[in-house]
Amino acid sequence: MPAVIESKNLTKRYGAHVALDRANFSIEAGKIVGLIGPNGAGKTSALRAILGLTSYEGELSVLGREPFRERTALMAEACFIADVAVLPSWLRVDQAIDFVAGVHPKFRRDRAVGFLARTQIAGKRKMRELSKGMKTQVHLALTMAIDAKLLVLDEPTLGLDILARRAFYDGLVNDYMDETRTILITTHQVEEVENLLTDIIFIDKGRIVLDSSLEDVAVKFAAVTVGPDRIEAARAEKPFYERHILGKSVLYFENPDPAKLAAFGELHTPSVADLFVAKLSGGVA
Amino acid sequence: MKTYSWLIRREFWEFRATWLIPAVVGAVLIFAALFGRVDLSAFDEHLAQMNMGTIYLVGMAVLFYLVMSVYASWYLMDCLYNDRRDRSILFWKSLPISDTQTVLSKLLMALAIIPLVFMLAADVTSLLMAFVISVRARTFSAVLWHPQTWFQVQVLWLYVIVTTAVWYLPIAGWLMLVSAWAKRAVLLWTLLPPFALYLIEKFTQTHVVHDVLGRRLAGYAAVAYHGNEQWINDNMSEAATGPVSVWRFINPAGFISSLDMWIGLAVGVAMIAGTIQLRMRRSEI
Repeated sequence: MPAVIESKNLTKRYGAHVALDRANFSIEAGKIVGLIGPNGAGKTSALRAILGLTSYEGELSVLGREPFRERTALMAEACFIADVAVLPSWLRVDQAIDFVAGVHPKFRRDRAVGFLARTQIAGKRKMRELSKGMKTQVHLALTMAIDAKLLVLDEPTLGLDILARRAFYDGLVNDYMDETRTILITTHQVEEVENLLTDIIFIDKGRIVLDSSLEDVAVKFAAVTVGPDRIEAARAEKPFYERHILGKSVLYFENPDPAKLAAFGELHTPSVADLFVAKLSGGVA
Repeated sequence: MKTYSWLIRREFWEFRATWLIPAVVGAVLIFAALFGRVDLSAFDEHLAQMNMGTIYLVGMAVLFYLVMSVYASWYLMDCLYNDRRDRSILFWKSLPISDTQTVLSKLLMALAIIPLVFMLAADVTSLLMAFVISVRARTFSAVLWHPQTWFQVQVLWLYVIVTTAVWYLPIAGWLMLVSAWAKRAVLLWTLLPPFALYLIEKFTQTHVVHDVLGRRLAGYAAVAYHGNEQWINDNMSEAATGPVSVWRFINPAGFISSLDMWIGLAVGVAMIAGTIQLRMRRSEI
């Protein structure tokens, strides 16, 4: 099965600034992928390129199409929520549904209406009268009612309270996701999406730092909590990152030899958030 | 075609002034007819009576047309800027609608739909005013109620809408170009380049831009209508004694054979093409 997104040497320049620097990655169908990076790392540029919102250099194929040239055709099969609260203030909820139903061949009106029926949002309300959380629910109802092969979410829960965020991700996994779909998410709240992701891509300074499934992460990376007595011996195994907590040190290893490392202390698979910090900081924190 | 009909509906949702403004203008005029001074005795002074009816309808048309042109210009400056400013462009671009469709729907709105709405409003207002005046004067004068005159003015309206759409296409194209490009102060950016060119010409004592712009802004009537003194002397002598059709004045042959019109059309088309390219590359501000 060909990849849903395939990028070779994807580069985006804004004048002298290089936002994406020969980025290579590939995303397969049925995955929930987290694109994770610090501010200014090139996340948004990558998403813009994938969604056909910007021109770029290098090769990029999304659902077998060239996004910038074929955005219209691509949007019949892919959908996105770029940030929250971008629905225009003058639009009414029922107008939004009518419009999307009118222009989108894969929109299932009954699903959008059903989704909204579970909320407190009346159809005659204008977006400007809705709270941020309600607006997000409307946008989600519209987007989730589209039978899309690829869903791209850019900071989808920004500005939502914890209840709404939890409800959003539960809905995503339970009601929306199936093996024919692919979801690409960027977020700062790594902990929140960690247990629903199947794959992670780390991006820093426009380059891909890590592109791996979470299963492989468990094999490729290990962290060991080491007491002061064994720290020098552990350091000799060349950890790529080290961090100190409560008098102990946590050492991070790439391509570890579990048998050897277990001798230094308690061995565990690093969380995505920890791995992110470890990969992007480098050296001792 | 279905997409275009939804895009036009969308414009009516966003720009409610499209029907509010003509409704207010009409209401003010009808209010004036209800409470102003009514004196039909002025109707038989210089021109034949029937021509007063024509002048009444044409005057109404001119008034609505002038208000319409100000509103349509404002619309053109806003139409590709608003959604970039409130970031809703990210929602519109997530739908399978091409940038060409978006730009053309807004051009169609400005050059055809808005003028037609104003034409309808002018007709309704003319009818209601004529009715109010007739009731108050206690006479349904044939001057105001002449089917032939009404029909002639409808055809004149359509001629005006078609020919001004073509003649002012470069102006409309320029407004859209700035609307799609500017990050702020659309009006300023619209006026600044021609004004700068005008100043440069003052300095260099040339007048190419001055002439070209002047001919475009003020030259429409001379191209689309008869009206020099000789022609009036030859054709209008019977106006003092009997009805004259407004169709006499229109000059389609002169319009079609005008080189200025064709050059303007080409420049306008180029500007619209440029607008579409800009729309593809620009997203939120």
